[in-house]
Amino acid sequence: MVSAVAAAAPVVDVRDIVTRFGATTVHDGVSFSVGRGTLVGLIGTSGTGKSVLLREMIGLHRPTAGRVTLLGTDIWQAQAAELDAVRRRFGMMFQDGALFSSLTVAQNVAVPLREHTRLAPATVDALVALRLAQAGLPAEAAARRPSELSGGMRKRAAVARAIALEPELLFLDEPTSGLDPITARGFDRLVRSLVDDLGITVLMATHDLDTLLTVVDRVIVLARGRVLADGGVSEVMAVDDEWVQRYFSVRTMTQGDAGHGS
Amino acid sequence: MEMSETAASPWFSVDLPPGRAVLGLMGAWRVAQLAEIEAALTGLVLPAGATIDGSALSQIDSAAALVLLRALQHSAMATDAEEFVWTGFSEINARVLDQVRRHLASATPPVAPPRRSALADVGRQTAVLSGLLHGHLNFLGATVAACGGLLVRPRQLRTRELTVQLQQTGLNAIPVVSLVTLLIGVVITYLLGLQAERYGANIFVVDGVGIGATREFAPVIVAIIVAGRSGAAFTAQLGSMRLTEEIDAIRTLGLSAMQVLVLPRVLALMLALPLLVFVGDVMSLLGAMLIAGPMLGVTPAAFLARLREALDISHVLVGLVKAPVFALAIAVIGTRMGMTVGRDTGAVGAATTSTVVQSIVAVILLDAGFAVLMQALEW
Repeated sequence: MVSAVAAAAPVVDVRDIVTRFGATTVHDGVSFSVGRGTLVGLIGTSGTGKSVLLREMIGLHRPTAGRVTLLGTDIWQAQAAELDAVRRRFGMMFQDGALFSSLTVAQNVAVPLREHTRLAPATVDALVALRLAQAGLPAEAAARRPSELSGGMRKRAAVARAIALEPELLFLDEPTSGLDPITARGFDRLVRSLVDDLGITVLMATHDLDTLLTVVDRVIVLARGRVLADGGVSEVMAVDDEWVQRYFSVRTMTQGDAGHGS
Repeated sequence: MEMSETAASPWFSVDLPPGRAVLGLMGAWRVAQLAEIEAALTGLVLPAGATIDGSALSQIDSAAALVLLRALQHSAMATDAEEFVWTGFSEINARVLDQVRRHLASATPPVAPPRRSALADVGRQTAVLSGLLHGHLNFLGATVAACGGLLVRPRQLRTRELTVQLQQTGLNAIPVVSLVTLLIGVVITYLLGLQAERYGANIFVVDGVGIGATREFAPVIVAIIVAGRSGAAFTAQLGSMRLTEEIDAIRTLGLSAMQVLVLPRVLALMLALPLLVFVGDVMSLLGAMLIAGPMLGVTPAAFLARLREALDISHVLVGLVKAPVFALAIAVIGTRMGMTVGRDTGAVGAATTSTVVQSIVAVILLDAGFAVLMQALEW
């Protein structure tokens, strides 16, 4: 039974993160939280530390200061066993997939299932097939190696692996970077269906304006080491900050130039 | 009256009055408990038209839905999930079941690749090996041709890359080569000394060690060290450059990968290995001298005097002549394996291992060839 209290508690809670590399301060007090069942986009220019923040949230890089709480567990204070338990409840999709190059796609997706469950091999195979279908991969892709796949299919395979254990939370690092517009929109639809049909909470770091304007529920803007804006898309678009205005006006800018040219 | 055909379980209840069977799902069906749920569902048999009641089901995720639908498929009396009456499911759970049902139609489990017989494997490996040798020979030809090109146009030589490689393959190898050959010298002298002592022929150990070390041991041992050190390094460096598309970038900028990457390494190794063999000669004789005193009573002065008499310069020269040939083999194998590595991380590791093995085998084969050649030429 999912209690009302648990349902209301944020799935991700980031408090006062400070990150320093030598003399450079990348984050200077970043705080936000993500509610259950929402699709949140994390944006900021290159160099604002989006990827570093993601790595801090999933336990790969220790922040200089601050707290990250995922699904009720403080990542950086937890014991190894607690951390292991919480790792099975969230999934991560790395920017270029990070699939194991010596395994086929099906074997890649099966890795979390074989390591963390005691299911029979036939059931694992059936579950792998389901994940591949959910990620929109054709059946032929299952026996291929990652080096034999296109970029878009690699990312879908990475998503299939990330959702293998049916996590409650999913992190995506620039999922649509390097994809053509059609594939990118297809990917957006996939992510949206994960939120709507499977109830997964998704936090994605992205540059993609189309993703933000079409499928995202909330946007968190990272700039100058802090959270500049945090709210619904139209809310954030209305924020009175030069960078935010330019970011969202790029679309109208290029259309305007085209109009002048013709 | 409940007549359950499967054991009582916290996950579901089975009620089988004739004509109106009900399977009541209970609790939260999640991946974490999936193994138990699957075990509990084994052997479940429901008649067609049975009702599946999800009102006591708090949550079902897609993995558990898959297991449920598969179990129902196995249930012998019904072949199609549509035959059942689904009732009492919350909206979210119904949506999950729908999604999985749709995917189940298109989801086929992956087919395992066919297993090959051992004999077929042997055949395949032989074909691979002959292809490898063919490729190496090809590459050797290209390298020699490029060297020839350098003789005609010396300005093409990339001195900076050459000196960097000389430092890495030659200078930086001196400590390890010195240490190993010193110890080899000690060991050989000890072995020969054990036998020579019996016949009172202690002083002749100097002959044995001098000729043995300079003709055979030093060149071969040094070449093996260099194969492991530099051969592996070449493959790993060039292989990683292939992964990051740096070699493609070199070609696109109008430079020759052969001139920039391969030739400096080949030439550097061919210059460095004879020098390292010389260092090896000196250090092994030094090691011999160190143990000859305490063990055999041969003082350093006596050692050096005997050495001057017994060790003809031709033996040292034979050893030094072998060195560039070994170097060419190691460098060609190392660079070629690096340049032709497959574009994934596992392949670089496999290629590096293969380089070391191939280089060592090549060195030993060439050494045997030299032995036959020297015998024939009576050098």
